[in-house]
Amino acid sequence: MASVQTRRGGARGAALRDLAGRWAFMAPAAALLGLTLAYPIFYTIQISFSELNLGTFQPDGFVGWDNYRTVIEDDRFWQALRVTAIYLVAALPLQIVLGFSIAWLINAEWQGRGVVRALFIIPMVVAPVVAGGVWRMILDPLWGLANHLIGLFGLGPVDWLGDPTLAMATVVIIDTWRWTPFVVLIATAAILALPKEVFEAADVDGANWWYKLRWIALPLLMPMIAATFVVRWLGAVKMFDIALAATGGGPGHATAVINLFIYDEAFRSLRFAESSAMAIIVLALTMILTGLFLLGARRLERRY
Amino acid sequence: MSTQARSDERPTLGHRLRIAGGLFACAVFLFPVAWMVVTSFKMPRDIFTTPPKLFFTPTVDTYIQYFGHAEVMKRMANTVIVAFGSGLVSIVAGAMAGYALARLPIRGAPTIGVIILLSRGVPPIALAVPMFLVARKLGLTDQHITLILAYCTFLIPYVMWLMRGFFLSLPPELEESALLDGCSRFGAFFRIILPISMPGLVSTLIFCVILAWEELLFALVLTNRNATTIPVAIAGIAGDTVNGANWGALTAVGTLTVAPVVVFALAVQKWLIKGIADGAIKG
Repeated sequence: MASVQTRRGGARGAALRDLAGRWAFMAPAAALLGLTLAYPIFYTIQISFSELNLGTFQPDGFVGWDNYRTVIEDDRFWQALRVTAIYLVAALPLQIVLGFSIAWLINAEWQGRGVVRALFIIPMVVAPVVAGGVWRMILDPLWGLANHLIGLFGLGPVDWLGDPTLAMATVVIIDTWRWTPFVVLIATAAILALPKEVFEAADVDGANWWYKLRWIALPLLMPMIAATFVVRWLGAVKMFDIALAATGGGPGHATAVINLFIYDEAFRSLRFAESSAMAIIVLALTMILTGLFLLGARRLERRY
Repeated sequence: MSTQARSDERPTLGHRLRIAGGLFACAVFLFPVAWMVVTSFKMPRDIFTTPPKLFFTPTVDTYIQYFGHAEVMKRMANTVIVAFGSGLVSIVAGAMAGYALARLPIRGAPTIGVIILLSRGVPPIALAVPMFLVARKLGLTDQHITLILAYCTFLIPYVMWLMRGFFLSLPPELEESALLDGCSRFGAFFRIILPISMPGLVSTLIFCVILAWEELLFALVLTNRNATTIPVAIAGIAGDTVNGANWGALTAVGTLTVAPVVVFALAVQKWLIKGIADGAIKG
């Protein structure tokens, strides 16, 4: 009995020490993330239910759902959400399809393969704000290279960033230019990991390329495609810098994605309380959709 | 094997087209970068021409102008301080936490994984507003430390996840023998695990530096003069509707910003690819 107790006591002591040890490793990250991630989110929630005193820049007085009501009745907020939705629906599939196709192209076996793959890293590390600025220069209606090039084919000139619909398409193109190489890198890893024997067996059976793509490659790649989609989604919902540098959200509010819109509302119009309410709504929407995508990805993984 | 055998039989048209297609895609994606670099070596009178000039007398005037420009150099220095500062803080905190997730069974580790992933979905604007207000109250706006802490919000979760994967790939016997020899967990971690993890740590650090290097939103919100970074300057040049487009400045400063990152990225490309791919699979 006694020996059991001491052993238990000893075990408990060791367990406690171990627990302390574990959390000692977690402590710095937990403290920093608590300070810089958790606390600001709670503060944003608090502001979203308050009036913000612009004299002291502090929340002051509980106003219930007032800010949320104001935001929901604001057409510009819905417009910004619509713009963001259009951007996401256009850009994400485009980038995934292009990324996996290009990855397949550049993985053709030849001596230059490694070089080409390395070169694809370069656009990926061009700061998005630089990308936006340089594209703005290339697409300039007057001096830009793009209009000159399409002029050689007798087309144009096109006011890429001046027309609302076209400006949206242009932002999608710029974003796709910046982020497709990222997808290419992931896709390259996925394609290289495909089992060669399966394809050889299919070749022996005389399968054509469509059959191999649709019934062998696609199912095998599906989990990676889903994972890439989730990662890109998490990046794209935060898109801000490309739109800011390329169009500044214009013309009008045609390319003001939600983050840019909230930024303007908060730091140009100083409507911090309403901005906080918008930020919390966007946070909630993002979390719900991310959860759904994760479930979907897991399902796809199980199905294939 | 069979692909090789096949390409011996017929170096097929399909295969050649595939290579050509890859090269074409590569050229398309590199072109804007090339155009930026080319434009940065032009005189203003060679920039604003119709048709755009492909042949011109290159000049480094714009570079000289901006290298000597105190403001630009200060911003460059700020960017270096903030990028490496936040990278180092994140790598220390994130590697320790990643080790805990990989090796020390913590109850709720899967939950922590989900939280890490969800934290990547938090819109930065939801953090920027309160950070700005708090920093203002504490008199911390426009200071490097504020930006460094702000960047930890996205860097630490990233490091935790990448380093967790890295530590999982190490054989557990390494620290087990050290623990048996009477080393503490901390001792084992700092004296045995960290030194052999140097390649992983350095690459992850470079990864973090790149991410912090190009960050715009927090830098716009939390700095205005003293600690402003280069992306803020570029956003200012690109969006300057008052003085019109200063493409020389845009491309020269842009090239200066991108060049070091490209060198870094190419130096660790193997790790970069692995890190991105792993981040996608496990993150």
